[in-house]
This record gives sequence, C-alpha cells and structure tokens, in this order.
Amino acid sequence: MGFDAAITSIFTPIFIASVIRISTPIILPAMGGLIAESSGTPNIALEGSMLVGAFTGVIVSAFTQNIYISFISVILAGTFIGLFLSFCHLWLKSSAILSGIAVNIICSGLTVFFLYMFTGDKGNSYKLNSLNFPAINIPLIKDIPFLGTVLSGYNLLTYVAFISVILIYILLYKTKLGRYILAVGENKEAANSVGIKVENIKLIALCLSSVLAALGGANMSMGYLSLFQRDMTAGRGFIALAAVHLGRKNIVGTLLASILFGFSDAISNQFATLNIAPQWVQMFPYIMTIIALVLSNMLKKKS
Amino acid sequence: MNILRSVRKIIFSNKKTIFALLFSLIAGFIVISFVSETPVQTFLSFITGPISRVNRIGDWIEEAITLTLLGLAVAIVFKGEQFSLGAEGQLNLGALAAGIVALYLPAPTFLRVPIALLASMLAGFLFGLIPGILKAKMNANEIVSTLMLNTIAIKFYEIIVTYSLTPKKGATFAASLPFPKEGILPFFLPNIPFLQNGITVLKNQTSISIALYITIIIVFLVYFFMSRTTHGYEIRMSGLNKDFASYGGLNVERSIILSMAISGAIAGLAGGHISMAIHERLLLGISVGIGFEGVVVALLARNNPLAVPFAALAYSYIRIGADVMERSSDVSREIVVLIQGIIILSITAERSMPLLKDVLLNIKRKKKEVL
Repeated sequence: MGFDAAITSIFTPIFIASVIRISTPIILPAMGGLIAESSGTPNIALEGSMLVGAFTGVIVSAFTQNIYISFISVILAGTFIGLFLSFCHLWLKSSAILSGIAVNIICSGLTVFFLYMFTGDKGNSYKLNSLNFPAINIPLIKDIPFLGTVLSGYNLLTYVAFISVILIYILLYKTKLGRYILAVGENKEAANSVGIKVENIKLIALCLSSVLAALGGANMSMGYLSLFQRDMTAGRGFIALAAVHLGRKNIVGTLLASILFGFSDAISNQFATLNIAPQWVQMFPYIMTIIALVLSNMLKKKS
Repeated sequence: MNILRSVRKIIFSNKKTIFALLFSLIAGFIVISFVSETPVQTFLSFITGPISRVNRIGDWIEEAITLTLLGLAVAIVFKGEQFSLGAEGQLNLGALAAGIVALYLPAPTFLRVPIALLASMLAGFLFGLIPGILKAKMNANEIVSTLMLNTIAIKFYEIIVTYSLTPKKGATFAASLPFPKEGILPFFLPNIPFLQNGITVLKNQTSISIALYITIIIVFLVYFFMSRTTHGYEIRMSGLNKDFASYGGLNVERSIILSMAISGAIAGLAGGHISMAIHERLLLGISVGIGFEGVVVALLARNNPLAVPFAALAYSYIRIGADVMERSSDVSREIVVLIQGIIILSITAERSMPLLKDVLLNIKRKKKEVL
C-alpha cells in the first residue's frame, strides 16, 4: 500500500470505527482518572487496575463460562484495587503517587504470577478458553450505509464507555455526591468545615476510578483480543492519565483527548504497512501527548 | 570521620527501613508457603541464593552497581519533590550513546571507555533537560511527560539497534556486534603478577568492572553536591517548600531543570554500565521496568545518597535471590514484585510506625495486666 492509499483510507467509515474501538480502553480509564482527579487525588494506579481487570475477566470467564459473572467480577476486582489504594493512601497516609506506583508494580507482577499458576505460561493465556464480550448490532441503524459501520457492531464495553461519559457528567454536575467530590477536590479544608466526610468521598472516587479502569482493561482482553498477555495494557493507563491532564480535567476535553490518542494509535496501525520502521509510528501518540501538553499549558498561561 | 559517622547513623538509626524490608520479606514468604510444594527449600534458595556461588556474588554486585546509579538518579529528583520517572528512557539513551562510542570510536581503552561513559552521561543529561524544562517553564506534569518520553526513548533505541546496528547478514536476532575489547569496561582488579592465578579464576566467574569504583565516586560526588553546594541546597529547599524557596530568592525553575538533568546524567551512566559491562553489546529490552526499581532503592535509602549503595545491595540481593529461587524451585520470580510493592508502601506509609508502636504498647500493657 502506498502513502496515498494510507492517507485516503483514513476517511473511510472502517477507519473511524477502528478509532472508536482503539479509543475505548483509553476513554474508560481516562474517565476514571478524571473522577479521581476531580476529588483531588491523582490515580496513578489506572494502569494496574486495567491489568487486573483484564486478567480477572479472562480467568473468571474461562472458569465460569458466564459473561455476566465475568463482567461483575471485573467490577469487583476494580473495586478491590480502589479499596486497596484508598487503604494505602487514606488510611496509612502514604503518598498518592508512590502508592499508585506500588499498586502498579504489584498488579503487573501478580497477574504474571497467577497467570503462571493457572496456565503454566508466563506470556499469555491462550490455553484458557476465555470468553469475549458479544458485539452488539443495533437494529435498523446497522443497515444505514455509513452510520451503520460507525455506530453499530462494537462490543458491549465500547457502548459502556460512551454511556459512562454521560453518566459521569450527570454524576459530577447533577448529583449531591458529584458536588461533594468537586468540593473536596477544590478545597479539602473548606469541604471538611461544612461537614463533608473528605476521606469517604475520596474513597468513593478512587473506587469508581479503578472500576472504570478495570473495565477498560477487560475491553482489551475480552473485546479487542480474546486472551490475556503479560503487561498487555502497555501504558494505556498512563496515556489515560495524560488525557485527563490534556483535557484540562473536564469531561469533554478528556473525551476528546482520549479519542485523539485513539486516532494517533489507529493511524500508526494504518502506516504500519508502509516501508517505515514501525517504531516511528508507534512513537506518534506519545509525541502527540507531549506536544499537546505543551500547547495546552501555553494556552493556559496566556489566558 | 564525619562521613563515617553519618554512614553508621544511616545503618543503625533507620528502623523504618529495616522494618519495611523485614515486613516485605515476611509477606513474600507467606505467599511462597502457599504456592510452593517445598516451601522450606524454596525459602532457603531465595535467602542463600545470591551468596551460594562466586558467579552469583558477582551478579549481585553488578546488579547493585546499576541499582545504585538508578537509585541516586531517582533520589536527586525526589529530594526536589519532582516525581520524575524518566530514568528508564535516560538509561536506554545512555546505553545507546555509550554503545556507539564503544563500537566505532577508533581509540585505545584508556580513551574509548571514558569517552563512552561521558557520552552516556551527556545523552541522559540532555534527555533529562526536556521534562525539566517542560515542568519549569510550562508547568507540564512531570509524571506524564517522563512516562511518555520513556516510551519515545525506548522506541528510538529499538530503531537504531534493529535497523542500524544489527549486522545485515547472518543476524538471528536484533543486537549489535559484541563490543571490541577496547570498548568494554575493564575488570575491577588490575593484573598483579603474583596474584595472577587467583585473578584468572575470579575473572572466569564474574565480570565486575571498574564501574564499581566509578559508582562509589559518584555516590560521594552526589552527596557532596546535594549537601555542600549552592545548587544542591537550592534543589533541597525547592523540594521542602517551593513558595518559601522562591520567596527567599532561590531560583526554583533552575533547580527543577538542574535536578532532572543531573538525575538524567546518572541514569544515563547506569545505561553505559549495562551496555559496556553487563551485556557488552547492545540488545533489545535492556530495561523492562527498571526505572521503578530505582524508585524502590531511593525510597529504601530515604533519598540519602550515602545510604543508596546499601539500599541497592539489599534490594539487588532480593532480586538475585528470586532469580535463583525461580531456577531451583517451583515458584516464579514475580514474587519479588510483591516484596517491591510492599517495600514502597511500608516506607511511604506515614502511619506505619505509629501503628506498630500502638501494637507494641498494647502487647506490653496486656502483659502487665496478666502479671
């Protein structure tokens, strides 16, 4: 495929669909990161939560052969990581950043450790017969020529991701809990002085955050691929963190930033067929992040 | 004498660090006893592994050298309260720079080795400047920027090694040619005529290099820099209280940039050590997660440069022990990450010591009640 063909293929519905598919495991943890950041605690453990979500989904689905139980187990696993992080940060008073790093390290190692125990293989879980989230074809819409490809046919979690964006908007701006979260993030002492239990609010925010990240991970191991690979999230949790900063900690901005990463990732897949070292294109999303961080901070300084 | 006293103080006064190490080891053992069929043997191979053979002692020391350099790199930025995680990327670029000099600079050992090491430090320094400038001038979050830069650096390293340095013919995997003899760090003992036999035996078993001495010098240089120079003072003060430091007329921006760049230079040197002493060629995947190992060492040493080598020795002992355990038992080496995570948590947990005190007090009180 030549350069022209690679460029023109960007404007096809199939490419747009692939952008959405690739964005899903960034949107979910990014929304999680946003909630945690809104409550004033950066969640560095998004990456670890994703890995655990991906791993739990594969293992539970392989042993129960039931997609609903697996879905719930992923949510529980995410909650558990959130609770553990809160235990370290809120109860033991460890720094949020360092406890996040510790959780990431533990998750990355323990998933490999248990993978080896369950399968005798340290690389991936191909020996296990794990399930996939079913693709959902929206009736009627799926038959419309362009929109059909763009809107229909994704797996369950992609829809969950986009619905979660709306739900989080409602949660943060239309409910009491959301206002508490924002108040705690804005000024802890002030929130405390009007009787908000700061630690409880932070705990809820961290748990929600980790659950969303775990779902993002499950999307990788049970939607995008159908197996678990060691360290399969490959830094997406950190990219999600970058998306939150890039989106200036608001919902629409974070969503757009996540899709931007999905886009640059999808582009690098398109250009992989050209005669360039694949690493150059794989660098693209990361370079974009840094450029975008710089630009957004320069704009902020001006305004 | 001053230095000796402070070294002693570090070893004996750091209850929390020792508690953290013990606690994490106990946690590791509990897990081992659940998953291993021969837990006692597994424990033993883990605990005695690193000193069971001469070559393993060599591995232990070499690993400790790398970890000391990384720990110093992290300790410098942590002292300035910058959570820079860029050591991994800087290490890759350092290894690359050192490797290219070691391979292609036509010069004898006594010139080629120092130039290669300086090149590795320069590469790390320049790459450390980027997140420093981004943070100081643009207020870009350093965790995010360093993590992104790490991936960029690793990909760049892969490109150069795979497409430029791997020989076109007959290569079965991506790696440069082995470095010529002039580009390898010399053995740490010189050739003393009447000890010839002993040294040859040692040389066959281990390849500990003069990086040992270089690292010790760097440890003292960093200590001196951080505690005795104006720039070091600026870095420490900016870390303690940024607003206060800038109110007091210190140049906080410069100290952020400087701390990240110096940290980068030392991480780059660690890369030089990995390529010129351990692998003696450029390979792919030299650094998986190694930046975070530096974080553990720095935390164990509580960011004190003089304590870093001891922390690195203790920590690399655990890592080599896990390697030996994996080879001689049914437990995989990933158990070490549990230990690693618990070390970080128990050292950074501000409430762990008061909690422990409470528990001990309660026990004492109960004993009294019984009596």
